[in-house]
Amino acid sequence: MSELVRLTDVTKVYQGGITGALNGVSVSVEKGEFTAIMGPSGSGKSTMLNLVAGLDRPTSGSVSVGGTDLGKLGEAGLARFRRDHIGFVFQFFYLLPNLTALENVLIPAQLKGSPGTERARDLLDQLGIKDVGDRYPARLSGGQQQRVAIARALINNPTLLLADEPTGALDTHSGEHVMELLGQLHRDGQTILLVTHDAKLATRNAARVLSVMDGKIVDDARLESPERAPSEVIRVRGEEASR
Amino acid sequence: MSLKYGVLGLLKAEPLHGYEVKNRFESMLGGTWEVNIGQIYTTLQRLERDGLVRPLGPRGDRGKLQYELSAEGRKALDEWLAQPDSGPQQLHEEIYVKLLLATRIANGDLPGLLARQKRAYLQRLRDLNRLEERARRDGRIDLARLVRGALLHTEADLKWMDELSSEHFGAAEGARME
Repeated sequence: MSELVRLTDVTKVYQGGITGALNGVSVSVEKGEFTAIMGPSGSGKSTMLNLVAGLDRPTSGSVSVGGTDLGKLGEAGLARFRRDHIGFVFQFFYLLPNLTALENVLIPAQLKGSPGTERARDLLDQLGIKDVGDRYPARLSGGQQQRVAIARALINNPTLLLADEPTGALDTHSGEHVMELLGQLHRDGQTILLVTHDAKLATRNAARVLSVMDGKIVDDARLESPERAPSEVIRVRGEEASR
Repeated sequence: MSLKYGVLGLLKAEPLHGYEVKNRFESMLGGTWEVNIGQIYTTLQRLERDGLVRPLGPRGDRGKLQYELSAEGRKALDEWLAQPDSGPQQLHEEIYVKLLLATRIANGDLPGLLARQKRAYLQRLRDLNRLEERARRDGRIDLARLVRGALLHTEADLKWMDELSSEHFGAAEGARME
């Protein structure tokens, strides 16, 4: 595997408060990894994601993705980097309300000057929503809207898929479905960085969990996936019969 | 206690001999509870003594002896099923005692204890997720529900570790500021 993302001694200071600040974070992510970033609100986990996405710049330290030092890019270069290399999925979908599902998916392709209609239809099909391409977001369920947003994030074949609480606004069932789709994308080779509160869902796919607290990575856990016998995982215990 | 009623519940469907009870009990629990055949025989003998089951046919080789549920057995089973589990909460794991000791002993390394335990819980969540997936694939919805319960419990344990960590961290911050 090769390194895709590297943060070196990254600090982010926000004016007027410490919420979301980062304090000397160094970490790297390999190509093909599914990494979950977990931590309390305001711990800086979304800030990490925004810096990797090139949506924000660090106060000090460096962020590089695929060998490109984002600090060396100007605003136009950063916009191109985001368009060509980053797919971003948000908690509240952020679809444009006056465009259909298909048109929403096509926006990043059009910014790049490629048609993409065929790929957009394939993606909608792959994500199980090919029948809703002509509908407007208001007529879609939360789970469907998030799947449209995932298709939009994938339309330009991003090097890196970033997801910030993608199941946070969904009911349990839709959340599980969305996580299942992310798992499928990962099995197909997609590198994914996921910020989430839901450890149950995160550990379904992510074999690596970064714990962030007060702007620092306090743990970097790599999980194993051996075949375990049920009794090695759960033991149902009744009181022993003794009378 | 649940072994006793588990056996009664299995016999409610049809008469069974000891080995069948053992096999069905273990397969119902999906491998999460292994019982030895001796426990099953002892349980059946106690149930017979208390009049909740009775042997079918002559008493020969005890491995072949079938038992059926009596009317009293049926009643006892129904009453047990209708009752909620209202006893004290069972905390079996060692972490509870470790936590108390680490708080008390100087150099107990509470933060290290919490961090290591948190990793163990994350790994368990991953293992449970795979088990739930397998249960669903095998069409064992009942077992998937059991695993789901375990997942939610482990999630709560993980939250507890986080709460203790930030409490500890907060206390350290406070001390530094003073």
